[in-house]
Formats: sequence, structure tokens, C-alpha cells
Amino acid sequence: MRGVRRLSAVDGRAAKLGLFVGQKATDAAALVPELTSADTDDEADAAALAALVDWCVRFSPAVAPDPPDGLYLDIGGAAHLWNGEGAMLADLLARLEKNHIAARAAVADTPGCAWALAHFGPADTIAPAGHTAAHLAPLPVHALRLAGPDADQIARLGLTTVGQLMGLPRVQLTRRFGPSIVRRLDEALGRCEEALSFRRPPSPWLARLAFVEPISTPEDLARVSVDVARLLCAQLEREGRGARRFELCFHRVDGAALTLTVGLSMAGREAERIGRLFAPRLETIDPGFGIEVVTLSADGVERLGDAQGELIGGGRGPSGPDVAPLVDRLANRLGDGRVWRDEAHPSHIPERAVSRRPPLSPGAGHGWDAGRPRPLRLFTRPEPIEAMAPVPDDPPIVFRWRGLAHRVRRAEGPERLAQEWWRLAPGESGPGHVRDYYRVEDEAGARFWLFRAGLYSAPVPPRWWLHGLFG
Amino acid sequence: MSREARLKAVRKKIAAIETGSRRASAVAPFGDGRIDRLLPGGGLALGHWHEVAGEGLEVELAAAPGAFVAALAAPLATQGAMVWVMRKGDLYAPGLAGLGLAAERLIQVEARDEVQALGALEDALGSNGVAVAVGEIGAVDLTAGRRLQLACERGGATGFVIVRRPFGGRRSVERTGMGAASRWRISPAPSQPAIGEIGLGPPRWQVTLARCRGGSGGAWTMEKSDGAYPLRVVAELGDRQLETPQPLRLAG
Repeated sequence: MRGVRRLSAVDGRAAKLGLFVGQKATDAAALVPELTSADTDDEADAAALAALVDWCVRFSPAVAPDPPDGLYLDIGGAAHLWNGEGAMLADLLARLEKNHIAARAAVADTPGCAWALAHFGPADTIAPAGHTAAHLAPLPVHALRLAGPDADQIARLGLTTVGQLMGLPRVQLTRRFGPSIVRRLDEALGRCEEALSFRRPPSPWLARLAFVEPISTPEDLARVSVDVARLLCAQLEREGRGARRFELCFHRVDGAALTLTVGLSMAGREAERIGRLFAPRLETIDPGFGIEVVTLSADGVERLGDAQGELIGGGRGPSGPDVAPLVDRLANRLGDGRVWRDEAHPSHIPERAVSRRPPLSPGAGHGWDAGRPRPLRLFTRPEPIEAMAPVPDDPPIVFRWRGLAHRVRRAEGPERLAQEWWRLAPGESGPGHVRDYYRVEDEAGARFWLFRAGLYSAPVPPRWWLHGLFG
Repeated sequence: MSREARLKAVRKKIAAIETGSRRASAVAPFGDGRIDRLLPGGGLALGHWHEVAGEGLEVELAAAPGAFVAALAAPLATQGAMVWVMRKGDLYAPGLAGLGLAAERLIQVEARDEVQALGALEDALGSNGVAVAVGEIGAVDLTAGRRLQLACERGGATGFVIVRRPFGGRRSVERTGMGAASRWRISPAPSQPAIGEIGLGPPRWQVTLARCRGGSGGAWTMEKSDGAYPLRVVAELGDRQLETPQPLRLAG
């Protein structure tokens, strides 16, 4: 009903007084006159959840938000850092409580089962591997994350527990309630994969250092970033792998998580080198009252031997591993897209004949056509010039560029380049989109790459442009 | 000891002081006595940095100096990686390839400002595996020049600084090229196609060696060549007014 204010969330004390979600605000106020209420703010809730997701990265690199008030943590391969799932769960809940966040949690094989146990099971359940069905069976059907009406309808038919649903033939279930219930059941039981949208992709490559006393000095930050890199690199080395991206995350005492990312041009696992790449940016980290946990996760993990062999064998990359440290330093200092290598792109349009590639990527090996002279500097936007050409299809005899007149002494051309019609909308192609390129030399010897756009026969007179300099 | 031998020994000593190098450095000869005899060691000193500047509009566009450096550096770049640091990424790889440079292997770096560009060039020169590093920089003052030279000695790379202010503006440093092993002025020169051919000949430059530590200046017209050496001297210009030489000890 419109215009009726209802409770959208109640805290523990309010629930004890008999208030519940969905109750009319006026009824609640009548029941508890001293009720304090605040307007629902969905955006703030979402932001708080996102912040909590970032905070939870201290437990696992793979954390997925479950709006409005849940989180999934993929703790596969991370629990041993706490000596077991039980200790990890206890630590998580204790820290949440310290931050005044009421929470229930459960550990299970599947996200669906964990959700069910956290919402409807006994407090802090840990379902051991392979016991998913046994733990699910006694829970109410609402534990299957069904849409409200579906669950209510099932409950009305006398099916109260998940166990009862599991006993029914699937075909009947689907026919009666639609496909979603069978899918939810399968997800909870692990019969089909469930796609969670993790804030960052799950990575088993995670190292973590926790400190008894929070640290804050720049020297300490620099030291621990190398220390944590050593841990992760040892793990990478055992598996014969290297990684291309590293994300360092400082977890502050007050719950904020500050991250720094560095990328490598070639997969690597040298702890000192990776630590040094972080060093110049550590000053951007505000340690606040101190940092208690540091995590480092690796992404773009690949087998180390293979990638390098390919580069050396290909022989096209700029002398391979030697310059990788330099490229990494430059790329991380200057930012994205500022260090590159040009590669031939199959196109006859000058501005599209080059594509920027990562500097150490293996080359395709087909270069540019040596028979077509090209300028050393190509203007991103051709500059308009005033040119005087006596005869159509002849190079100009004199042209004016940037206020200076250049008398053409020698010229070559034209080289006619038509637009790539397959890239244009119908009707866009035509004589106006033809370029005739000329290579001209003025009396001083300076060489220019000019073109005339359009044809003399076309209704629009052609225009002259300067596209590049040979030098 | 004869007078001749003594003189020779003193000359050698002076040359060693003037070149400022701790060891005799390798050189890349131009393959023409008219220019090699003016350069210490008989060629362009490797493991040092050289300044190449243009004139007039070239301060902004640096097309002729860029082409000259690309042609000169092409054979050196086969011995390792080549890095080109600039502030405006308008280098066109097919054009570089046309000058004989392995453009697909060239690492290009675009810096945000002059300081970053100098830092990147210094880093590249001092790194393992880099044979040649080119930087397009507005001006190199004494400190920066010294740092570049130290980086060259550390990494063994050869450096080229192309004087360029791609976004215009006045030069910030009164004198540039301090600490360079040599300083060159490049301007385009009219080409001469082979007899019987039409169109443009191979690119030519008016090359002035304005200053060279341990050597003397000169001026030539040079042409891009496909032979054993990247450049060919077409003519020597004897009567050109040269820049007055600077005190050589200034940059150590």
C-alpha cells in the first residue's frame, strides 16, 4: 500500500519488544512509544556492504556481496591460515562484533547451504565436507532462497522442510512450482555450480601477515610489503608459477582496507622486486591508528617457464627478461598505457596501421610494407593547409602551413587511400572520403606528408591536409 | 725519451682527461674519415649520451633530429633493447621502420612532464639489457646531464637527447646539453634522387657537430644509406660558422 511507512529492519532489542519487519510504523510507535526510527537508505546500505566486503578480504580474496545484508566468502585454501575453519569463523564473528555488527555465519560446501545454515540453522554451524544434505534436511523451505510467494505456497501445501522437498520427484516439483525451486535445491546441494559475483576474482594466491601490535611507520610498511611478498613468492615458486598483477591490501585497526596494485610486464615471483614496486606508493597509505593485517594476492598467475620460452623462441620481444624490471618500473611509475610497443595492424589507413601492445608481448612478426614510405611523426589530427595545385591529381606547387609558405621542390605521389567502407555506415562512403597522399620536399629539404581529401569532380571541393613529417 | 714520444704521452693523457671516461669506450664509426677523424676514438662514443637539436619549428616537432637519431641508432639497437621516451607520443612506427629501425621492438614511453621524462630516460640508460635510449627533452641542465652520464656508465647504454618542447613554451634552462659527449645540430637538406629516378631521394640532413668532448666540431651534409653504415657523408661544409667551444672541464 502506498504511503504507509513500515519497518524495514529491527535490531535485537526491538525484536524482543515484539516489533517485526513489515510492521506499520504507526503500530510500532503505538506499541513502543519511545521507539527511535531512521529512514531506510538503500544506497548507504549498499555502500556499507561494499565496505564490509573490502574488509573481509583479510579473510579471503574472494568475497561476494549478497544484498541487502549478506556476504559470501570463498574460504577454499584460506582456512589453514587460521588453523581451521572453526577458528576462522570465530575470528570473523569476534571481529564483526567488535565493530558492532550483529552477524550469523556458517561454513558449508556450497554457497546455498551456507546461506541456509546462516539464516535458519543453529548458530555458527560448520557443515563438514560431504554432509551438506544432512544439514539442509531439517531446515524450513525458506532456507532455499526462494522468492517469497513460492516459499509461502510450498509451506501451505504442508511441505515444511527441505528434506521433504528432497524426497519428491524432480519432474513434479518443476511442473508444480516452476524451475527455480529445483535449481535452488541443486545449488544448495552442490549438484550445479552457482555463479557468485565476487568483488575480485577468487584467487588461491594469497599471503597474509597479521601483527600482534599494529604497525604504522613507513619503514615498517616497506618491510612488511617485502615480507608478505616473500610468503606469496615462495608459494608461487613451489608451484613453478609467476604472476602478473599483485594487490597489496593494508587492513587498518578501524576496519578500513587500503589497497595498492602493481602490474608486471612478464609474470614474475621475485619478492624484492615486487616489494620495491610498491615502495614509491606506500606514502599514499594512511595508517591511521595502525595496520594489523597485510594481505597480498596475485592475479594473472601463469607457468613461468612457458611464457619466457615463448619470448626467447619468438625472438621478437625486446630481448625478453632483461628489460622486464625496467618496463615494470616505468609502467608502474607512469601509469597505465604509457609504456608500449607498436605492432603492425592490418589496415591501410595510416592512423590504424599501428596498434599499441604491452612492451614485452610476443610480436606477430609481420611488419609494415617497406615499399610505402611513411613519416616519422604522424599528427593525431591532420592539420589544414592552404595548397595550390595547378592540375587536378598533381601535388601542390606551394602550400602554407602554420603561417609559413613552403615551395615544393620535389614530390612523389599520389598514393590513393580509400576509407575502409566496411567500417562506415551506408551512405558515408563516397568520393569525399578518398585521400590522395603526396610526399613532398620543400626548398629547405623538409619533407611533408600531405593529402587531399575528396576529388575535384565531387560537388564538395577537395581540401588539403598535412598529416605527418618525415624529418 | 724523445720529444715526439713525450708529446704523444701528454696528448694521450689530455685526451683521457677531456673525455672524462674511466676506461676507453667503444665507438660506432660513421665509416668516413672526414667525420671520424674529428671524433675521439674515431666514431660516436658508445656508453655516453649525445644531444641532438633542431632549429626553428623543429624545437616543437623534432622531425629531422628524430629521423637522424633513428637512423644513427638503428644498428646499435640490434645489440639490446631500445627505449624512446617522449612527452608527446606522435612517433609513427612505420616511419621508424623506413629508417631501418626495428620499430616493433622499440619500447615507447610517454611521460607526463619533463621531470618524469628525464627520470625515465635515466632509468632506461642505467638498466640492464638496454642498448640505446632516446629521450625527447626540453633542456638538460648540468645536474641532469651528469646524472644521465652516470646512468650511461652504470648500464653501458648509449643515450640520445633530442631537444624538443612539444607543447611550445620558453626553454627553462639557459644552456642545455651540459655533460653530453657531443652536441649536434640537425636540419633537413634537399635530397638528390639517383640519376634517372623521379621523386624524392634518400633523406638528407645538414649535420653540424657543435661540440664534442675530446674532439672538434665540423659540418657535413649526410644522407641515409643502406650500406654498412647507416649514414653517408655527401659533402663537407668547411665554411660554416661554428658555435664557440665551451670550457670542457665544466661537466667533468
